[in-house]
Amino acid sequence: MRILVVEDDPLLGDALQAGLKQRGFGVDWIKDGVAAELALRSEAFAAVVLDLGLPRLDGLQLLGKERAKGSKVPVLVLTARDAVEDRVRGFDTGADDYVVKPVDLDELAARLRALVRRSCGEPAPILEQGELRLDPAARTVAWRGLPVELQAKEFNLLHEFMLNVGRVLSREQLEGRLYAWGEEVESNAVEVHVHHLRRKLAPELIRTVRGVGYVLPREPGNG
Amino acid sequence: MARTGTRRSIRRELLVVLLAAVAVTWIATAIVSYVDARHELDELLDAHLAQSASLLVAQAGHEAEEIDVEHSPQLHRYGRRVAFQFWENGTALRLHSANAPNARLSSKLEGFSDADIEGQHWRVFSGWDADRRYVVQVGERRDARDEIVAKIAKNLLWPLGVALPALGLLIWLGINRATRPLRLLNREVGQRAPDNLAALELGDAPAEVAPLVVSLNRLFARVATSMENERRFTADAAHELRTPLAALRAQAQVARGAGDAGERARALDNVIAGCDRAAHLIDQLMTLARLEPESFRAQREPCDLQEIARFAAGELAPAALAKAIEIELAPASGPPAAVPGDARLLRILLRNLLDNAVRYSPPHTTIRVRVDRRDGGASIIVADEGPGVAAEERGRLGQRFHRLLGTQATGTGLGLSIAQRIAQIHGATIDFAETAPGVGLAVTVAFAPAADEGA
Repeated sequence: MRILVVEDDPLLGDALQAGLKQRGFGVDWIKDGVAAELALRSEAFAAVVLDLGLPRLDGLQLLGKERAKGSKVPVLVLTARDAVEDRVRGFDTGADDYVVKPVDLDELAARLRALVRRSCGEPAPILEQGELRLDPAARTVAWRGLPVELQAKEFNLLHEFMLNVGRVLSREQLEGRLYAWGEEVESNAVEVHVHHLRRKLAPELIRTVRGVGYVLPREPGNG
Repeated sequence: MARTGTRRSIRRELLVVLLAAVAVTWIATAIVSYVDARHELDELLDAHLAQSASLLVAQAGHEAEEIDVEHSPQLHRYGRRVAFQFWENGTALRLHSANAPNARLSSKLEGFSDADIEGQHWRVFSGWDADRRYVVQVGERRDARDEIVAKIAKNLLWPLGVALPALGLLIWLGINRATRPLRLLNREVGQRAPDNLAALELGDAPAEVAPLVVSLNRLFARVATSMENERRFTADAAHELRTPLAALRAQAQVARGAGDAGERARALDNVIAGCDRAAHLIDQLMTLARLEPESFRAQREPCDLQEIARFAAGELAPAALAKAIEIELAPASGPPAAVPGDARLLRILLRNLLDNAVRYSPPHTTIRVRVDRRDGGASIIVADEGPGVAAEERGRLGQRFHRLLGTQATGTGLGLSIAQRIAQIHGATIDFAETAPGVGLAVTVAFAPAADEGA
C-alpha cells in the first residue's frame, strides 16, 4: 500500500516515512501543498497523511480542492491543531480521520489500514478469499490453514490483489502501488513477484489477462 | 467598601465645607448687621432723648414752678426705663418722672452724657430752657437699649439654627445626586467578571466622570490586547511544540523498530537533533515571552554596535565553520557607532540574524557583517550568499513561526520575530533586501539618530 505523507517538518516527515516503511507501507514524502497536489494528480495512493500547516498551499485548502475534483483517496489529517472547531472543519472539508500530534506510529499504521480497507469496501480487518487468509496488521498470510512466508513486496502485492478481488490490475498500476519514488523498480519486478506468489501459494491463484494485467478471481461462495 | 469609614469621603467633605462656609458667612453678616443696628439704634434713641428733652422744656417749663415734685404717668412699656428731671438752676428738683432717681441723673448740665446711678447705667441728655432757669435731664436706662439690641441679634441668628440642618439635608441630597454616576461606575466595575474587558458605557456620564470612564476603557482595551497576545502566544507555543514532540516520538519508535544498526543509529541521531531543536525552540519562546509585553522597557546605555557585532560573530563562528561558512566582520570605520540600548538584547538580535544566515547559507559561502554610521544614526547589515528570499515573501519574514519553504534548515520560525521585537524596543527598523541581484539575503537593522531617541 502506497501512502503519501505531506509534512513540512523535516524530522517528523523523516520519521513518518521511516516508521511507515517499517510497518510495510510504501511511503512518499512531500513537504508542501503544491507539490502534494501534483503528486496526487500523477499517482494513485492508497491513503494520504496530511499535515495542515503547510507552506504554499494549506493542508485544508489542498483537501478541499481534491474533494472538489472528486478524489476519493482516504485522507488522514495529522496536525497540531487540536481545537474542536479545527477537527470539525477537518472532517467537513473531507478528512476521513483526524489525528492530533504526537501520534503513535503503530496507531497511525492501524488507522491507515482501516481507511484503506474501508475505501475498498472491505470492513473485515482480516481478508479472506477461498482458502487464502491475509492479516494486514500482523502481516501474515495463511494458505489452507498453514502459514506462508512472504517477502515484504510479495505480501504487499498479494494485499493489493486481496483488496481488489475480481478486478484486473495492470502492471503499471501495481508498480505504482508498490513502489515509492526513488525506489528502484526492475522492469519485470511485478512478473517476478507474481511468479513467487504462484509458487508459494497455488499456480492458478493469480490469473494473467494477456495484454491487460493480473487478477485474483473471486471464489464462488465467497461473497 | 469596608474601608469607606476610614477613607476621605467627597460627600462628607463637601457637606462639611459647604455648611461651614454658610455658617461663617451668615455669622459674619449677623455681626456686621448687629454692630450697624446698634450704632443706628443709639443714634435714633439719642435723638429721641434730645427731642423728648426739648419737648419737655417747651411744654412744661412755665408750669414747673407751680408743681412741687410731681410724678408723671406711665405711657409705654419702655416708658419705665425712660426718666426725666426738671432742675431749677440746676440744683432744685422741681419735676421728675416716677422712675427717676432723686439724685441728679448726670453731673453734666448740657448735651449727652453717661452716668451710673444706684447700679444702673443711664444715657442722659441735659438741656437748659430758653431763660436758662431750668435744666431738664432725660435719661434712658442702658439695659433697655441692650435688650433691644439683644433681640435684634437673636432675630438675626435664630434662622441660622433652623436653616443649617435644612441646608445640610438639601446639600446632602444634592451631593448624592451628583455623585450617583460615580457609585454606578463603582458598582459596574465591581461586579464585573474578571474576563469581562468590554468598554464601559459612557452614557450621560458628567464631565468629571467621563474622563475616568474613558481612561478605564483605555486600560481595559490595553489589558484585553495584552491578554489576547498572551493567549495567542500560549496557543502558538503549544501548537509549535507539538510537531517537534511528534517528531521525537516517531523517531524514537522508528529507532525501536529499526531492522538494522544503521537505521537505528540514524533514527537515534534524529532523536538527539529533535531534542536540541525542541530545546532551542523553548529558549526562543522564553526570549520572546520575556520581550513580548507591551510594557517592556529596555535599558538605555550607550552600546558600541561594532563590539556587539564582534561578540555575536564570535558566538556563531563555530556553527558557521562546521558548515564551511565564513563570517566576516568589516573593520570599524571612524569613531565607534554607539546607540542607546540594552547590549544584552542587541546581542540576542544580532545572534538571531547571524543564526538565520548560517542556517540558510550553503557551504563555502561568506556572511558579511558591517556596522555603518550615517546621518547621526547607525546600522548593522548582515548579508549572506544563501538562496535569498523572494521579494513577495520578504513581507512575511518576521511573522511568528513562519519558516522558509524548501530548506532543510530546522529553524524555529521565531528568530526574526525576536529580532524585530528587539529592534522595535530600541526604535530601530529591520529591512530585508538582496545581497546582490538574485543572491542572498541582506538584513539591515537601522537605528534612528540619537536626537530622535527622546521617545
